[in-house]
Amino acid sequence: MTRRARVVAEAVAGWRAFRRRRTAMFFTFAFPVLLVVIFGALVTTSAGASGGLFTEPPAYYVPGYLAVVVLFTPLTRVGSSVARHRAGNRFEKLATTPLTRGEWLAAHTAVNAVVVGAASALVLALVVGLTGASVALAAMPAVAALVVVAVVVFCGIGAVLGRVAESRDGVVAASNAIAVPLVFLSETFVPPSLLPAWFRPVVSLSPLTYFSRAVRAVAVTGDPWVVDAVVLVVVAAAAFAAGAVAIPHTD
Amino acid sequence: MVAVAARDVVRRYGDTVALDGVSLEIDAGEIYCLIGPNGAGKTTLVRCLTGTTTLDAGEVEVLGGPPATVARHRVGLLPQSFAPASRLTPRELVGYYAGLYEESRDIDTVLAEVGLDAARTTWYEDLSGGEQRRVCVAAALVNDPEVLVLDEPTTGIDPAGRRAVWRLLESLRDAGTTVLVTTHDMGEATRLADTVGLLADGDLVASGSPSTLIESYGGGNRVVVETDAAVDGAIAGFTPTETDTGLVFEGVAPTDIGAVVRGLDEAGIAFGGLRWREPDLEDVYLAVTEADRGTLEGGS
Repeated sequence: MTRRARVVAEAVAGWRAFRRRRTAMFFTFAFPVLLVVIFGALVTTSAGASGGLFTEPPAYYVPGYLAVVVLFTPLTRVGSSVARHRAGNRFEKLATTPLTRGEWLAAHTAVNAVVVGAASALVLALVVGLTGASVALAAMPAVAALVVVAVVVFCGIGAVLGRVAESRDGVVAASNAIAVPLVFLSETFVPPSLLPAWFRPVVSLSPLTYFSRAVRAVAVTGDPWVVDAVVLVVVAAAAFAAGAVAIPHTD
Repeated sequence: MVAVAARDVVRRYGDTVALDGVSLEIDAGEIYCLIGPNGAGKTTLVRCLTGTTTLDAGEVEVLGGPPATVARHRVGLLPQSFAPASRLTPRELVGYYAGLYEESRDIDTVLAEVGLDAARTTWYEDLSGGEQRRVCVAAALVNDPEVLVLDEPTTGIDPAGRRAVWRLLESLRDAGTTVLVTTHDMGEATRLADTVGLLADGDLVASGSPSTLIESYGGGNRVVVETDAAVDGAIAGFTPTETDTGLVFEGVAPTDIGAVVRGLDEAGIAFGGLRWREPDLEDVYLAVTEADRGTLEGGS
């Protein structure tokens, strides 16, 4: 059995398990949609207003809406999966099979990439439709690639959270504690100009910042984006390695 | 040929010594039943033997090498309290585990062997507790292992299902598979085991075939009397011991049962029931674990 076949077996099982938890599936898509509806359509501030949130042109916030999907879903789902596997002694069983920890994480990352990819496409369509944001269609393959890389980042971090947190409740609480600040302080919804000067360097510590910058550059402004993408890829490799190591293989 | 061996295995969790120098050997093609009270160290020993925990001292060999070096398809494991994905069907679950191996057994055949033909397309969460456990057993069998390790495989399974699992394990043993089973069910150990190991307080306090253990530790034939009355002295030449449910007269041959009954009548002892029985593995379990506990308490 090849590595690929093992990853496929794990991914198929993970996909089926996710698809059949209808509540989880519903909110995976409903949460970002609600966010777009609330902040893209209901809360309206004139672009170019003197200050405050949501005063940038609508396209500025495209990376932010995508970041919500890219951040919350993998972090919570992989963290919860690790916690669920631990509670059911599934890793103890898997430790006696040929499936490695890296393969397990790769499989669950693949499932998340599909889920997040679909949610991202929905969000992007809604943002364009509701806010009139202008994005470059030709940039969509690059945006999709950036989404996948970001999913790898947060699946890795989610696996670490699943290891550290003692339960699924702990994973959800920790995920929220990490994700909420990140989603607002990563050049997503809050432009750096609204932050104190001393705080701006901190924004560079968030991997989501590089996702946000790269997506904005490639899909909206046309600025150079390769450096941000490379940083994101490096962070993804590190997060994946950390996540794979964090997955328990003994008690 | 020895399939599984543990030598002087020590495993501690903080200040708690879970295994305190356990040594055992399991021959290829035998069923070895590990019995012992809760907290005796059975699951820790299973984890040591399958390489899913680390040893603080000692060594373990499975099929001639350390567990971590053994090809994964050669060992099958059902962990204790194993809970797979709840919204997959038995067919999907067993198929999933089959998909992790180079070669595997036919999924439907394995499901049929554990008696799950009819439930193969029902979600795991909708199965009864016994059916769920049988799915887990099937998941441990699907790679056709040479060494099969089952931590309490029949917990929650009804008598018919339990017997189906027993027959399956016996057929695997007959085909040459080495089977290690932990259980609290003495009937199961008596029925299945070629060798029984009795673990108490992290120590393997007795091992041997069920008949050898019963002969060594089980005591003699006995009459068990259900009564609230206390007895002072011997009846019909037998001095009873008091238990929670009545009196036990040890060493009573079938021909002496009448004398014991007459003695109870003469002593004016009313009783609700009386039965004669031979010693079994449960008597061994109680005798050995209580002796072990007594040793510990006496030593403390």
